[in-house]
Amino acid sequence: MNARTWASALIFPLAALFGGSSPAAEDVTLLKDLTSVIMLLGLPCGQVVSAKRQADNDHIATCKSGHRYRVFVNPEGRVVAQKQ
Amino acid sequence: MRKIAIFLFALTAACAGVKDAPPAVKSHAEPVVATPSAVAVAPSPAAPLPPTSKDEAAKAESVVGAAPPPSKNESVKPVPSPAKVPAKASTAAVATEPPPKSEKPPAAAKAQEPPLDVAALTARLRDTKAIGTFTKLALKNQVDDLLKQFRAHYASGRKASIDSLRQPYNMLILKVLSLLQDSDPTLARTIAASREAIWSILADPEKFNSLT
Repeated sequence: MNARTWASALIFPLAALFGGSSPAAEDVTLLKDLTSVIMLLGLPCGQVVSAKRQADNDHIATCKSGHRYRVFVNPEGRVVAQKQ
Repeated sequence: MRKIAIFLFALTAACAGVKDAPPAVKSHAEPVVATPSAVAVAPSPAAPLPPTSKDEAAKAESVVGAAPPPSKNESVKPVPSPAKVPAKASTAAVATEPPPKSEKPPAAAKAQEPPLDVAALTARLRDTKAIGTFTKLALKNQVDDLLKQFRAHYASGRKASIDSLRQPYNMLILKVLSLLQDSDPTLARTIAASREAIWSILADPEKFNSLT
C-alpha cells in the first residue's frame, strides 16, 4: 500500500464521521435565535456571544454588552428572558 | 502507465467538455432567428415599433394583417408561396395570441405577491427557516397578545380608540421585518406590502370577528 492509498483509506472514514451538521453550526443557530428572542422582548443585549444549556428550552445567554439572561419557556408556553 | 492513465483522463474530460458545446451554440443561434419575427409580429400596443422603411412597414402590415378575420378582401388575398407558408403560419399563430401581454403580467405578479391575511401570515412565519424556534414562539406570544388587545377593545364596545392599537401593531410588524429582512427578504417584502391589508382586517370588527 502506498501513501496515496493510505491517505484515501483515512480520508473517507473521517469524512463520513464529520460529514454531518457540525455542533458549531448548531451553536451559531442557537446564538442567533437567542439574540433574536432577547431583541424581540425589548431587552438590551446587542448580540449573544455564548450560551449555556440548562435544560430543554432553557439557556443562559451571555451578551456582547455583558448582560446575562436566562431564556426559557415557562409552563404557560411563553418565552421569558430573565436577567441574571 | 500512469502517464497513459492521465492522458486518457484528460481526453475523457476534453470530450465531456465538447459535448456541452453544441447546445450552447444552438441556444445562441435560436434567439437570433426568432427575435426579428417576434419584434415585427407582436409589437406592444403601448409603444409600437416604427418601421424603418416603407418596405418594412408594408411587410409588417402584411404579417400583422394575416391575423385579423377575413372580412372583406379574401379573394384578393395573395396565395403564399410554399416556402413561406410555415413561417407565416407560425407568425400568424403568434400574432393571434397575445403573448407579450399575457407573459409580462405573471412575471410582475410573481414579484408582487398578493397581500397576506392574518392566517397566511401566521402560516408563513411558522414555515420560514429564517428564524429559530425560540423566536417563533416569542413572536407567536406577541401576536396572541396583540390579538387579545383587539378582542378586548371590541368586547368593551369602544369605537373611537382603535387607532391606539395601531402603534403596537406597527411595532410588531417592524420587529418581524427586522428579524426577516436579512434571512428571508421575500417574506419580509410580502409582509411589508401586506401591512395595510392586515391592519384593515384587524381594524374592522366584523372581519376581525370572522377571523377569530
